[in-house]
Amino acid sequence: MSASLFVVGLSWRTAPVAVREHLAFAEDELGPVLAEVRSSSGVAEAMLVSTCNRVEVYGAAAPDDGARAVAAVRRALVARRAPVPREVAAALYEHVGDPAVAHVFKVAAALDSLVVGEAQILGQLKDAHARAVAAGAAGPILGRCLERAWGAAKRVRTETAIARGAANVSTVAVDLAARVFGALAGKRVLVVGAGKMSTLAARHLRAAGVTELVVTNRSPERAAALAVELGATAQPWERLGELLAAADVVVSSTGARQPVLTRALMKQVTKARRWRPMVIVDIAVPRDADPEVGELDGVYLFDIDDLERVVAANLAERGKAASVAERIVEVEVAQFGRWLRAQKVVPTIRALRDHFAAVGAVEADKLCALLARKELSPGQREQAVRRSIELVVARLLHHPQMALKSDDAETLAGAVRRLFPIETVEAEAGASEAPGTAGAPSAESTPAAGPAPRSIAAGG
Amino acid sequence: MPDDRLLSVPPSPAFWAAVVLYAGAAIGLLSGFLRSRPRWTRVARLVVVAAFVCHGVDIGWRGVDSVHPAASVREALGFLAWIIAGGYLAASIRNRIDLAGAVLVPMVVVVLAAARLSPTGQPQDDLTLLGRIHISLATIGVALFGLASALAFIYLLEERNLKRKRFDTASWKAPVESLAGLDGMGQRLVAAGFPVFTVAMVLGMIWTTQRGSSMGRPEYLAAVITWVAYAGLLGGRLGLGWRGRRAAYVTLVGFAAALTVLAIYFVRRWVGG
Repeated sequence: MSASLFVVGLSWRTAPVAVREHLAFAEDELGPVLAEVRSSSGVAEAMLVSTCNRVEVYGAAAPDDGARAVAAVRRALVARRAPVPREVAAALYEHVGDPAVAHVFKVAAALDSLVVGEAQILGQLKDAHARAVAAGAAGPILGRCLERAWGAAKRVRTETAIARGAANVSTVAVDLAARVFGALAGKRVLVVGAGKMSTLAARHLRAAGVTELVVTNRSPERAAALAVELGATAQPWERLGELLAAADVVVSSTGARQPVLTRALMKQVTKARRWRPMVIVDIAVPRDADPEVGELDGVYLFDIDDLERVVAANLAERGKAASVAERIVEVEVAQFGRWLRAQKVVPTIRALRDHFAAVGAVEADKLCALLARKELSPGQREQAVRRSIELVVARLLHHPQMALKSDDAETLAGAVRRLFPIETVEAEAGASEAPGTAGAPSAESTPAAGPAPRSIAAGG
Repeated sequence: MPDDRLLSVPPSPAFWAAVVLYAGAAIGLLSGFLRSRPRWTRVARLVVVAAFVCHGVDIGWRGVDSVHPAASVREALGFLAWIIAGGYLAASIRNRIDLAGAVLVPMVVVVLAAARLSPTGQPQDDLTLLGRIHISLATIGVALFGLASALAFIYLLEERNLKRKRFDTASWKAPVESLAGLDGMGQRLVAAGFPVFTVAMVLGMIWTTQRGSSMGRPEYLAAVITWVAYAGLLGGRLGLGWRGRRAAYVTLVGFAAALTVLAIYFVRRWVGG
C-alpha cells in the first residue's frame, strides 16, 4: 500500500500574527490536538507543528483518501478554536501529494521561513516529529518523508550559503567579534549601559562561548540587576577606563547624549592594551563612541547602522543562495516521490517473487526425486533436467500467454516488451504461434503448462 | 651512470600533470572564493592534493636522475612552489583559509612557470654539499616566509575591509580565518622559517668564504635585509607586543627582500653571470 502525504496549516506567508495567534497551540495543547487530528477520518499518520511563524499538520492518508483527510484535519483544527474569525479559515492552505512533500522539505530547509536559512525550524520539526512518534501518531511514511527532509536540509546548509552570516542585529556582534578573534572562548566582554539591545547582544555572545562577562552602568542597581540576568559581574562606572583596557569586546548602549567612549579615553585604553585588537559594538543612539575611535590602531568600531548593513548584506546573500537551495530541494523531493510511488508495487513484486519461487520449488522437488533413481542413464538424467526446466518455463508463461490473447492484448504486449529484453519480428496479429519457440512449449501444445502438468517421471 | 653535475632534466609527465592540476585548482579556488561556492573550494583543495603528489613525484623523478632540488635556480623554484603548496595544504586542514588558497595556488602556478622559463645556467664546480644544504635551507626558509607573507597580505586586506566596514566583499561572504587567526599563523610560519633561514645564511657565508668569493654582492645585502626584518619582527612581537598590521607590513618587507635575492640570482643566471 502506498500513501498520500498532505499538509494543512497556515504560516506567516498567509496569516499575520493577529490571525496566527488564534490557531497557535500551547505546549500542553499539542498532545490532545494531535490525538484529535490523528483520529480524523482518513488520516493514517499525523504530526503537528506549532511555532510562532506556523501552525501545520503533516499527515499521510490512504492513496485515495488525501482530500477526505485534508478536509477532516481542517475541520478538526478550526473546531478546536471555535468560534474562529473567518480570516483563520481563509488563511489555511492545503497541499496533497507531491506539493505537500515539497512543502515539508522547504520548511525543513528553512526556505519557507520568515528569515530564510534560520536554524531553529529544523529543531522544531524534529521535536514535533518525536512528539508524534511518542504519541503513536506518526508512522513509517511520515518518518521516511522527514528523514529525507532532514537530509535535504543538511545538503542545503552545507552546499549553499543560506545559513551564513547573522540575520538579526543582536547576533551581528557575535559575527563581528568572530571576524577579529575567531573563537570567542576566553574573550572578555564588557557591556556598557543596560539597554535592551546590548543585553540581547551579550546573551548571544555568551551563547557563542564567551565566559567572562562584565557589566557597568551609571546606575549601580541596574548594572547589578543586569549582571544577575546575564550571569555576569557588575563593576562600578568609575572603573570604566580600566574595564575597557581589559575587555576584548565592548557592547555599548547607554542613554548618554555625549560620547562616553571618547577618542582621548580610547587612545589611553589602546596604549594600555598594547594595541591588542578590540571590537566595539555601539548600539546606542545617540552614539556612545566617538567615530574617530574607529581610526585607532587595533580598534574595530561598529555602530547601529553598520549592524543593519551587515544584516541586509547577509540576508541578500541568503536570498541568492535560496535559488540554489530550491534546486537541491527539487531533486530530493523527486527522489522521495520515486520511493513513495515504488511503495505501491512492493506487494505485487513480493507476490510475483513468491509465485515464481513456488513454481520452481515444485518442479525442483520432482526433479530431485527423479535424479535420486540410480537406474537412470546419464542421457536420461540430462533429458529429465531439460524437461524440468521446460516445464517451469511453461508453467510460468501459461497465465501471461492466456492474458495476452485477451481483449487487452495490445497494452499487455507493450508491457511485456518493456518488462523483458525481447523484440517482436512480425506483427502480433499476423504471427501464428509456433509451438516450442523460444525453447518453451506453448500453452496449447504442452499439457504440463496447464493445471495438471504431465509428470516428468513419466517422460523419463 | 648519471652525470652528478646535471642542473636539470626534462620534466616528467608528472610535472605536466601537476601544472594542469595546479592551474585547474587555482581557477576552482578563485571562482569558489569569488562566487561563494564552498563546494568548488573543497573540490579544488582535493585537486591541489593531487597536484602536490604529482609535483612530489616529479621532484623524486629528478632526484633519481641526480638532479638535486638545489642544483639550479630552476630546480630551487620548483622546490619552493612545492613547499608553498604543501604548506597551504597543511594549514588548510585546520583553518578556514580559502582566500589564502586563492592567492597561494595561483602563486604556485606562477613560480612553476618561472621555474620552467628560467635557464639552468652553467654547472658550478664548487657546488659542494655545504652549498646544496645552504640552497635547500634557504629555499625552505623563503617558502615559509612566502606563506607568512600571503597570510600577511590577506590580513591587511581583511583588516582594511573591516575598518572601512565593507560588508559586500567576497572575503566577507566566504568563510575566512579571523584576523587573530591569520596573525597567529603568520607568526608561527615566521618563527619556523627564521631559524632555518638563519642556518642557511651562516652556511652561505661559510660557503662563500670557502669559494673565496666577494661578500659585497647585492644579493647578500638583500639576504641580510631579509634576516634583519624577520629578526626584528620576532623581537618586536616578543618584546614590544607587535601584532596585526605592523607585523604584516614587516613580514611583507622581509619577503620582498627575499624575492630580491631570488630575482638577482634569476637575472644572473639569465645573463649567464
